[in-house]
Amino acid sequence: MNSSNAHLERKRRFDSIVGVFHKDMYRYAAWLSRDPSIAEDVVQEALLRSWKSLDALREDAAAKPWLMTIVRRENARYFERKRLETVDIDDLTPAQAAMLVEEDDSQLTEIREAIYRLVDDYREPLVLQVLMGHSTREIAELMGIKPGAVLTRLHRARHKLKDVIDEAAQ
Amino acid sequence: MNAAGQNMNCEDYKDAIAADPSESFDGGTAHASACVSCSSYRDEMRALDDRIGRALSIAVPDLKLPDLAPIDEDSNVVNLPFGRKTRLNVPTWIGIAASFAIVAVIGARFIGEGGESLSLADEVIAHLDHERNSLRATLTPVSERSLSKVVSSNVAVLDGVGLITYARTCPINGRPVPHLVIQGENGPITLLLMPEEMVDRAIPLLGEGIEGIILPVGNGSIAIIGERGARLEEIEQRVLDSVRWDI
Repeated sequence: MNSSNAHLERKRRFDSIVGVFHKDMYRYAAWLSRDPSIAEDVVQEALLRSWKSLDALREDAAAKPWLMTIVRRENARYFERKRLETVDIDDLTPAQAAMLVEEDDSQLTEIREAIYRLVDDYREPLVLQVLMGHSTREIAELMGIKPGAVLTRLHRARHKLKDVIDEAAQ
Repeated sequence: MNAAGQNMNCEDYKDAIAADPSESFDGGTAHASACVSCSSYRDEMRALDDRIGRALSIAVPDLKLPDLAPIDEDSNVVNLPFGRKTRLNVPTWIGIAASFAIVAVIGARFIGEGGESLSLADEVIAHLDHERNSLRATLTPVSERSLSKVVSSNVAVLDGVGLITYARTCPINGRPVPHLVIQGENGPITLLLMPEEMVDRAIPLLGEGIEGIILPVGNGSIAIIGERGARLEEIEQRVLDSVRWDI
């Protein structure tokens, strides 16, 4: 296969993978960083890195966790590079605020704000389980913690969200 | 109710269902089917999860792919550890070759003065460059069979070391040693378990794009290497807590 064909074949494989998982990559990045503009930067970096190391992905069936690992790493790099501080929900940029607001659905906005307020350790496994459909074991591997710790964090995250909803309902 | 269901009480069930509303844990379905309170709590958690799922599904902007340059796989492209590929021009190559020559000379002198440590560090770095294909970000664990073939009976690798995704026996200083790769938070981490390579102190390792350490462990040592900038402290402790040998 000449280099032009090899490039096209590689690009075709990359496009098919990214086409399927782009939304997951963005949403994971957005909930990790809690900022849509940072999420876009992180996804761009993650796309570049995954393009360069596509050969490391042996089977396309493993593409999702592979891409999420890259997004997670790029997000950590971004924050390390910029040395960003934690965002306070009462001091959001317009872009950050827009991420939370769901027009015509105040209940959804309410729970989105509650998720936004969760500490990173609770928010991340919740995103991976509910949004990505990862198993406890997959989350543990991705986050480098024990499965028991994942379950504890998920349990606490849901109880915190439930408390917020119950409180609002009263 | 089956045996697993009988073993689960309501408190256990509610803790478990709050962590995993899909009820994939053992005994959950049996317990809930026999307990109105718990099945009601499960439905409440599932309704909550439905709301969480909708809340997390924020709008996604259109995909904009960055400029994806062709990846040149010619011989003048050097595969660095962790899958990174960098084109090196001829002067850079000469510089690297010269660096290796200098290290070799210094290493030879150092060995002449009775210090094996520099030689061991060089060998570890050189080996990593040779076996760069091992450094893949993956969640697929190496099989127990492969791992047991590589790790001898007098070396114990406990589960706490992390997800092992690569295991092979490799020669270091002429001795076969287990070469493992575990998945760290910031990428793959190489472990070389060297029960017969004694060092009297921790030896830092630095290579092209990588860094690590050789730690003394009993009468042997363990090399732990990650990408430059990787935080290895936590992994070092985990490895020290997880690897045992009896030689």
